[in-house]
Amino acid sequence: MSDRAGITRRGLFRGIGTAGLLAGCKPSERPPTTTEDPGDAAGPGPGEAALGPGPAPLTFTLNGEAKTVEVAPNITLLAALREQLRFTGTKVVCDRGACGACTVLIDGLPRNSCMTLAHDVAGAAVTTVEGLAAGGKLSVLQQAFIRHDALQCGFCTSGMLMSCQGLLERTRGQKLGREDVEAAIAGNLCRCGTYPNVVAAVLDAAGGSA
Amino acid sequence: MADEQRVTLKVGFAEQLRDIEVQLPAGEPKPWDARSELKVVGKPHPRVEAPLKVSGAAKYTHDIVPANALWAAVLRSPHPCAVVEAIDVAPAKSQPGVSAALALVKPGERVIFAGQDIAAVAAKTPEQAEAALRAIAVTYKPEPFVIDTAAAMQDGAPLVHRGKVSERSTEGDEPGAGGSAGQRGNVRTSPSMKKGDAHKGLRMAKVSHEATYTTQVHTHSALETHSIVVQWDGPKQATVWCSTQGIFSVRDEFAEVFELKPADVHVHTEFLGGGFGAKFGASAPGSRMGFIAGELARQAGAPVRLVLDRKEEHLCTGNRPDSRQHVKLGASVDGKLTAIHVVAHGTAGIGTGAGVGRNAFGIYSRCPNILVESHDVFTHAGPGTAMRAPGHPQGAFALELAIDELAKKLKVDPLDLRLQHDEHPVRRHQFELGRKQFGWDAGRKQAAALRDKNARVRRGFGVAASIWGDFGRGKAVVATVSVARDGSVEVKNGLQDIGGGITTVVAQVVAEVLQRPVEAVRVRLGDSELGPSVGSGGSVTTASVTPAVRAAAEAVKTQLTALAAKQLGRKPEEVTWSEGQARAGSKSIAWAELCKKIEGEAVVATGTRPETYGAYPVKFMGGNSYQIAGVQFAEVRVDTWTGVVAVERVLAIHDCGRVMNPLTARSQVQGGVILGTSYALTEQRVMDRVRGVMLNPNLESYKIAGARDVPRAIDVVFTPVDTGANNTGAIGIGEPATIPTAAAIACAVHDALGVAVRDLPLTPDRVLAALGAVPTRGAG
Repeated sequence: MSDRAGITRRGLFRGIGTAGLLAGCKPSERPPTTTEDPGDAAGPGPGEAALGPGPAPLTFTLNGEAKTVEVAPNITLLAALREQLRFTGTKVVCDRGACGACTVLIDGLPRNSCMTLAHDVAGAAVTTVEGLAAGGKLSVLQQAFIRHDALQCGFCTSGMLMSCQGLLERTRGQKLGREDVEAAIAGNLCRCGTYPNVVAAVLDAAGGSA
Repeated sequence: MADEQRVTLKVGFAEQLRDIEVQLPAGEPKPWDARSELKVVGKPHPRVEAPLKVSGAAKYTHDIVPANALWAAVLRSPHPCAVVEAIDVAPAKSQPGVSAALALVKPGERVIFAGQDIAAVAAKTPEQAEAALRAIAVTYKPEPFVIDTAAAMQDGAPLVHRGKVSERSTEGDEPGAGGSAGQRGNVRTSPSMKKGDAHKGLRMAKVSHEATYTTQVHTHSALETHSIVVQWDGPKQATVWCSTQGIFSVRDEFAEVFELKPADVHVHTEFLGGGFGAKFGASAPGSRMGFIAGELARQAGAPVRLVLDRKEEHLCTGNRPDSRQHVKLGASVDGKLTAIHVVAHGTAGIGTGAGVGRNAFGIYSRCPNILVESHDVFTHAGPGTAMRAPGHPQGAFALELAIDELAKKLKVDPLDLRLQHDEHPVRRHQFELGRKQFGWDAGRKQAAALRDKNARVRRGFGVAASIWGDFGRGKAVVATVSVARDGSVEVKNGLQDIGGGITTVVAQVVAEVLQRPVEAVRVRLGDSELGPSVGSGGSVTTASVTPAVRAAAEAVKTQLTALAAKQLGRKPEEVTWSEGQARAGSKSIAWAELCKKIEGEAVVATGTRPETYGAYPVKFMGGNSYQIAGVQFAEVRVDTWTGVVAVERVLAIHDCGRVMNPLTARSQVQGGVILGTSYALTEQRVMDRVRGVMLNPNLESYKIAGARDVPRAIDVVFTPVDTGANNTGAIGIGEPATIPTAAAIACAVHDALGVAVRDLPLTPDRVLAALGAVPTRGAG
């Protein structure tokens, strides 16, 4: 997997390869293989190392710091962050990619960490909500969230912030409109009803009109 | 302490202010009233805990991991109704990582909803716990069940409860609601609300309207699922972390279940990720979570974390019941209501509480004949529980839309019809204010013109009223304020902050009294050892807690005044305070200098709140508390080809007594409007009638409003009211803010289409059906 920045569902499947997907099927469900050695169909592709079933070492950058942890290959990035590394700012809400509460940045792009296997961030730079403040000083975006009261219970806030941070990073210097922010947080659910304040906070942080 | 005292308070609202005399209990500070000039309270202040929430440092129950903690998982019934013939949890105990397994039903027991507790395990990892559940052997004998509310009402429907039904009430329920007036089959009748003779009033009516309105089951869907972490500190002592709206309700239930002294159960809720009425007690409404986590922890000899997943959250942690309301209205030709008769049936699944609130009874108080009859219909589904203004949004939807339909028959403006029957002076004021600010008259004309043209895209304008009570509780809260020798200020109480912003308001109250910066006040909440407090239900928090906090702060100030007098060589009554300095004559002493003179470590005082003293200007029926007023206006855009409804604007005009922090109060109202919009347009629990299970127990097909689904503009206006009810004048706003939203939107859709859509949610198929089977094509 060369393009770490663009790990998507489709990209993930591409990266694992057909073989990896087929390996998850029961033998009776596998389509007939055209390779000469059927045993290869379930094995790793060229340049890929087999992982598991036990924990395997994973090295990546978390909030600017190199981390190496032993993680089982079936563990999501979300579970690895929360349960193994004890970075609990990233929240579990739906655990199936529907709510955005677990959003983190992977090489600058907002991703659902519940839909990302931990081992798929090998070598990548991951930023969580804990990584937004630099040297103990809250970022412009975090301060705008506070000023505009863009949080109530706070449970969606980490994911909201990461989606908005991703927007600010990829649109740096551009003028943002309300629709841009709404599109960026379209996948982030909030039950307290903070959306209008989130939009105002991001426009403020981006230097636009709130 | 001073004796009882009479004080004169300036109370009322807007231009309608007057002096009243109030008898205060001994030691009670003189209430802030319309004459009070406050510097901190009433001014916008960002949340003091916000830095923790925006940096991921705030610890919620989900984030608590005691050393060696195990994960629990619960096996839930796949059947809506079945007798358990055999259950064996032993195989689970030998699975990898498993430390304890527990059967939660016995052979012969009947389970009555899909999602009910069957068994539980505790293991080292969540994956191991889930895997171990699959080793548990259960044999079920499925039985007939009924899911549909209408079907459950029929004779011969499978009975949900075969014995006496017990009511589970919580601090989330509206005070005075509940009770039973008999049961037949699956239908349990609630005590009716009656005034005059509604049947006679309907017979006498020259103009009448009769229709059936339905609302859907709505789940709370707080983002943090129900969760509890239990650690036994000894055979009879436990520490419990719980995502709860009521720390003391958790303590008491946990103590009762395990036969402990309440004082030996230490409960922590530093932060919680929403509740909306479903989080009271150690258990969820449909799952014995406190027992499960506590018992597994006891058996395993290790702390246990029980964190529900999203599916469980939908199935067994409560919901807003549905409703089927038959509404009859009668009026004279000149537009005077002669009768309101509401017959409501709703299902709270296996639970109770499907009543429709007191909207009809309380708002149209000039109508002489009112009868509201509510019935719980039992079905084989997860129990309902209090949800943000229980009963009210569904009651308001049916009644307000019916009033709109009657207004159309009477050919009168629906806002005028409301004004003609509403006696609450604040609500009348709000209606008039909104009429101007919202552009009501011009909007209605615009909507009519688009209707007349048969335009494809229509506009509609609607309005609806909200009723709630000031249920602030007396003698429930003990707050402690201390000022230390280093000048630091701390306030403590065993309260939880659900997200409404009470932490900041508590800091503001102390800052106001002691003339310190808000940032200098350390607020400690979220721990049962910090003093008795209330649950965050019934919109009671601010009204119950802030007066106790103020009383404690005033008591500390009295002690500091005495200390200052001693330092300045004057009498205490000669000391005045300004900008945090104590002054007497020409001499003064600064805060830091004064605090250094404190004997011992700190000056400490506790404060409590007495019972509500007044209810000016209007009482909530059946009580001695003030009736909170609110109205909301909605403008919608409806595409008559696709049936899609979009909410353009909502103007929410509300009263919550004294607005303590306009920034957070505004957010709370905005949140109420957004929840109400989501309820009006998209949310709906969908049950499979064939299998008796919920089809959308997730957040992709149970559709809660996202950023692009909410009103394009939400304007919040507060109409401050001084009620003389307590010493800060605060009243809660959480619940009233969501009551009229769906009703106002439905009325606006009625205005846009010229026909009412009488079923929530207002989905495109229903809009198109209301317009006729074939969508109407625009004339242009």
